[in-house]
Amino acid sequence: MKFRRSMLFVPGSNTAMVCSAFVYKPDTVMFDLEDSVALSEKDSARVMVHHALQHFTYKDIETAVRVNPLDSIFGHLDLEAVVTAGTDIVRLPKTDTVKDVLDMQDAIEKIELKIGRTKKTKLLAAIESAEGVINAVDIARCSPRLMGIALGAEDFVRDLRTQRTKEGTELTAARSQILLAARAAKIQAFDSVFSDVRDKEGFIKEVNYIKGLGFDGKSLINPNQISVLHNIYAPSEKSIDWAYEVIEAAEHAKKNGLGVVSIDGKMVDAPIIARAEFTLELAKASGLIGVDDE
Amino acid sequence: MNSNISVSEFDSGNTRRVAKIKDFLDKNELDMSPDIEVFVTIKDEEEMIACGGLAGKVLKCIAVDSSRRGQGLILKVITHLLNAALVRNRNELFLFSTPKNIEFFHDCGFNLIEECDGEIILMENTKNLENYQKKLTSLKKDGDLIGSIVINANPFTKGHRYLIEEASKRSDWLHIFVVREEASEFTFNDRISLIKKGISDLKNVTLHEGSDYIISKATFPTYFIKDKRQVNELYAKLDLNIFRNQLASYLGITHRFVGTEPYCKVTNNYNKNMKKILANPNGKSATIEVVEIDRIKFDDKPISASRVRKLLKEKNYEELVNLVPTTTYEFLLEGIKDDK
Amino acid sequence: MINSAHAGTLESSDVYIQINPIEGDKVEIDLSSSVAELYDDMIEELIRDTLKEMNISGVHINVQDKGALDFVIKARLQTAVFRACETKPTWGGTQNEV
Repeated sequence: MKFRRSMLFVPGSNTAMVCSAFVYKPDTVMFDLEDSVALSEKDSARVMVHHALQHFTYKDIETAVRVNPLDSIFGHLDLEAVVTAGTDIVRLPKTDTVKDVLDMQDAIEKIELKIGRTKKTKLLAAIESAEGVINAVDIARCSPRLMGIALGAEDFVRDLRTQRTKEGTELTAARSQILLAARAAKIQAFDSVFSDVRDKEGFIKEVNYIKGLGFDGKSLINPNQISVLHNIYAPSEKSIDWAYEVIEAAEHAKKNGLGVVSIDGKMVDAPIIARAEFTLELAKASGLIGVDDE
Repeated sequence: MNSNISVSEFDSGNTRRVAKIKDFLDKNELDMSPDIEVFVTIKDEEEMIACGGLAGKVLKCIAVDSSRRGQGLILKVITHLLNAALVRNRNELFLFSTPKNIEFFHDCGFNLIEECDGEIILMENTKNLENYQKKLTSLKKDGDLIGSIVINANPFTKGHRYLIEEASKRSDWLHIFVVREEASEFTFNDRISLIKKGISDLKNVTLHEGSDYIISKATFPTYFIKDKRQVNELYAKLDLNIFRNQLASYLGITHRFVGTEPYCKVTNNYNKNMKKILANPNGKSATIEVVEIDRIKFDDKPISASRVRKLLKEKNYEELVNLVPTTTYEFLLEGIKDDK
Repeated sequence: MINSAHAGTLESSDVYIQINPIEGDKVEIDLSSSVAELYDDMIEELIRDTLKEMNISGVHINVQDKGALDFVIKARLQTAVFRACETKPTWGGTQNEV
């Protein structure tokens, strides 16, 4: 499974950011055509992102685009521009119901068919309302294209008629529900942005908290937050050590035709091996081990 | 990255916001200009950090909070002001700012017209000045004493006639510039055609249509803001510097003739500055001697265009006929006929 | 039918493009760049190619380059053309039609 600790929001109207976001090496670059783009620049941002997606600087990095809702005058135009340009993921804003996801899926399929795109566009549903949180379980299971669901906290707290706090008490229920829904559907779960870019301590606290809850990652608005987050998500020395042992044991078993191996009395089966591989990938991405260390 | 920065554009009717901009300009030691139609502001959260305005075809009142300079905010302001101008079909633009911003604006496509006293700059986004200078060069005449007059002639009076006649007598050649701006009671076309008719007997004169570079809303905005009693000398100085360095030198002008000014405070002040700025060496262009010619009088009071306009309003044609040349009088009578 | 239009910004890494209709079917380009003049020819070629792709001629293009990458210049020019023609792009794979 691909890890997505950091998804960096890049306003489609901020040319300097569009041109440089790849430099910061987030796990996913998420171009935004929605809330960060002024009405008068919706058209120009769309064209810009269409071209950026095809630029070689974004060939080796996963790309996502937050499009405008399909029921707005921009939605279908956005979708056409980014699916034709080969975005990996479309982030669906304000997902309230299963129908929202299915409508988006249909619209994407039509475009893919028209241009003969074979690599299926993945979907990430952002849940930003009480209704969306209530429906999260169904939403998470409704489409094979769905790679994850994410919490959009700014709109959500408005819907709850409250404000965001540093403690995040107001998000407790939503975070738990979204995480459970994602895990039950075997897809990823992402936390909302932490918007006070000056409060590094608050950011660290929140990342530790959501990692503890089980979130795969978090949306970010400032490139400086990336390395901080990656450090927190880096696997411990102990778990890297364990992962090496698992892989070695598995390879040994394979070479010698052994059916079953165990470490410390526990059986090394496929899920354990997958987890060990994931840990090593993460360690590599965190710069803790070299690419050829295994 | 500044994620909480927002840009907004609004018109000068929004008094609450305009008041906030005035405070911000004060803080940055800039005056609010009353002729601004469109404002652009940049805020970080709720705090204003930059602003700018569009007045006609002029970008002005551009300021960035001192703690936020060097972040490219000024480029954001200019972009939005340009957008505002272009959607109003204004393509040929000017901007006022301070000399430290010359480089910035140059990189935005603006060329320097003139810098004055290290305090103010005027720039344009065209090469119109360059083209105008080429045209002036082709109109240059030989002679030891090349005179010049800048007039509005609103309308052309015997006073103007006397000033031009005197200047023409003393000059080998005389260049007359007629203020182009349509901000007077009489249109530019009427004003210049009355001058043409009134001086057709003088042979050593070139009558120039004015331009954005001579007493225009671009170079000298305070001249046209009638209710602004406090006269900003800086603009007057700028206008005179442009005349001397950017125009007069291309025609080889050696003298500027001007009527004494008994009434208008702005004009009087302008004349005072004229001597200071044109007649002293400045290291850029040749000095120009300023010659003041006393106004002729009728009934012991100086003849002026404002007096003519007043009489016209009062329908006092018996007195009026004595103040203007026949050609102007005929034109005015026709206007009266049309009114009836 | 082409109107006057503009797109882009004067901020770093971007480009500000104005498009104005002119008589005839020529393409006039006024280019000024805050980076090296070295790239002027390349930028001009990119603009001509992009306009050709979009079947646009009889225009004057004013370009204020602030060090924009090729794809940025192309995106801004296309946006200006779409605005000038009041059309919306239809992205047919790599072939862009107006």
